[in-house]
Amino acid sequence: MSFLELYSLLLALVVGIVATILGLYGFVRVMGSARGEPGKDVPASSGVLSRDPVWGRYHARYYGYALLFLAFDMEMAFMYPWAVVYKEVGLVALYDMGVFLAILFLGLLYGWSQGALRRQ
Amino acid sequence: MTVAIVLLALLGSAWLLAVIEGWMATGRLSPAAPLFRGLAHLGRESIVPRSPDRVFFEAAPVLLLVVAVLGMAVLPLAPDLIIADLGTGALFVNAALAYVLVAVIMAGWGPDGAYGMIGGWRFLGQLIAYSMLIVMPITAVAMRAESLVNTAIVGSQAGLWNIVYQPLGFVLFYIAAMALAFRAPFDLPSAEGELGGGVDAEYTGVRLAVLRLARLTLVVTLASATTVFYLGGWHGPLLPPSAWSLIKTLAVAVSMLLVGHYLPRIREANLMRWCWVLGIPLALLNIIIVGLLILVVP
Repeated sequence: MSFLELYSLLLALVVGIVATILGLYGFVRVMGSARGEPGKDVPASSGVLSRDPVWGRYHARYYGYALLFLAFDMEMAFMYPWAVVYKEVGLVALYDMGVFLAILFLGLLYGWSQGALRRQ
Repeated sequence: MTVAIVLLALLGSAWLLAVIEGWMATGRLSPAAPLFRGLAHLGRESIVPRSPDRVFFEAAPVLLLVVAVLGMAVLPLAPDLIIADLGTGALFVNAALAYVLVAVIMAGWGPDGAYGMIGGWRFLGQLIAYSMLIVMPITAVAMRAESLVNTAIVGSQAGLWNIVYQPLGFVLFYIAAMALAFRAPFDLPSAEGELGGGVDAEYTGVRLAVLRLARLTLVVTLASATTVFYLGGWHGPLLPPSAWSLIKTLAVAVSMLLVGHYLPRIREANLMRWCWVLGIPLALLNIIIVGLLILVVP
C-alpha cells in the first residue's frame, strides 16, 4: 500500500472509533435520562464547595525540569534520522552524535549543579 | 479483515486485563464481570459538572481511546498482521502516545473541579519525567534495526532479542511505559488516595466506561510496543507468529498490573528526580553502548 492509503486507513480507523462512541452515547440517551436535581453536578471536592471556577494559576513547580526537557526534546528530533543511518555511516556518526550528546549532557550537569533538578 | 482481527485482539486483551484487575482487587475470578460492569455503566447517569469546558470534557475519553488504538495500529502481531506498516512506525508510536498527555490534561481541565485540575497538571510533570525514557531507548532499537519500520525492527531481532542485546533500554522503557499508562506506582494524575480519583473523578456513566476502556487499551498498546521493540515480537518456536505476539503482549501487560499491585505510589518530586538524575544518563549510556556494540560486533 502507498503511504497515502495507509494514512487514509488510519484516518478511517479514527472516524470509526469516534462514530462507535457517538453511537454508544446516542444509545444511552435513547434509553432515558435521570431527573435533574440541584447539587448533583457539583465537582468532587471532599464535601466542601470549591471556589468557582478552579481555572486559575497552577504553580508548575517542575519548571526547572521543563526548561531542560525542551533542550532534550529538540535533540530527539535529530536522533531518529541519525539512528536509521547510523550503521551505514559508522564511526563518524558515533563521534558526531557523541560530541552533540556530550554538550547536552554538560548542560544537564550544569542545570543539576544550579539546582534545576529539584521540585521548586 | 486485518483491522477486524487486530481490533478484536485488542478488545480481548483489554477484557482479560479487566478480569485480572478485578481478580486482584476482589479475590474472585469472574470472567463476565467486565461485561456486566460495562453494561451497568451504560445504565447509570452520566453527569456533566456544573460549569464545564464542554469540548475538553467530552473529547478527553474519546481522544485517549483513539490514540491508544492508533498506537496499536502500527504495531505488528505477525509479519502480515498489521493495520498500517508505516515507514516511520516507531516514530508514529511516539507521536500517537504523546497525545495521552493532551487527553489527560483535557480530562483534568474540562470538568472545572479542583482535584481533576491538579491531576492534569501533575501529569504534565510526569510527562517531563518519563518522556525521554520512552524516546531514547527506541532510538537505540532503531539503531540496531537501521529502520523505523516496526516489522523491520522485529525482523532485526530474529537471532537475538533486544532484551538481551540492550537490557538497560528494556528496563528504562518498561518503567517509562508504566508511567505513560499512569498505572499504579505512577498513577499520580488519578491517585485515589490523595486526589479522590483526580482526572477520573468527574466522569460517570457511559463516559467513565469509555475512559476505563481507553486506559486498559493503553496498557495493551504499551505492552505490545514493549514486545515489538524488545521481546522479539512474533519470533518463537512451534506456535504461530501471532500467538507468540499475543502471549508476550499479555505477559508484559499482566506483569505491569502485578508490579503496580505490590508497589506504593511514588511521589511526583521523587519520580522527576530519579528520572532525570539516573534515568536520562542511563538512557544516554544505553545509546552509546549499543552504538559501540553495533560497530564492534558485526
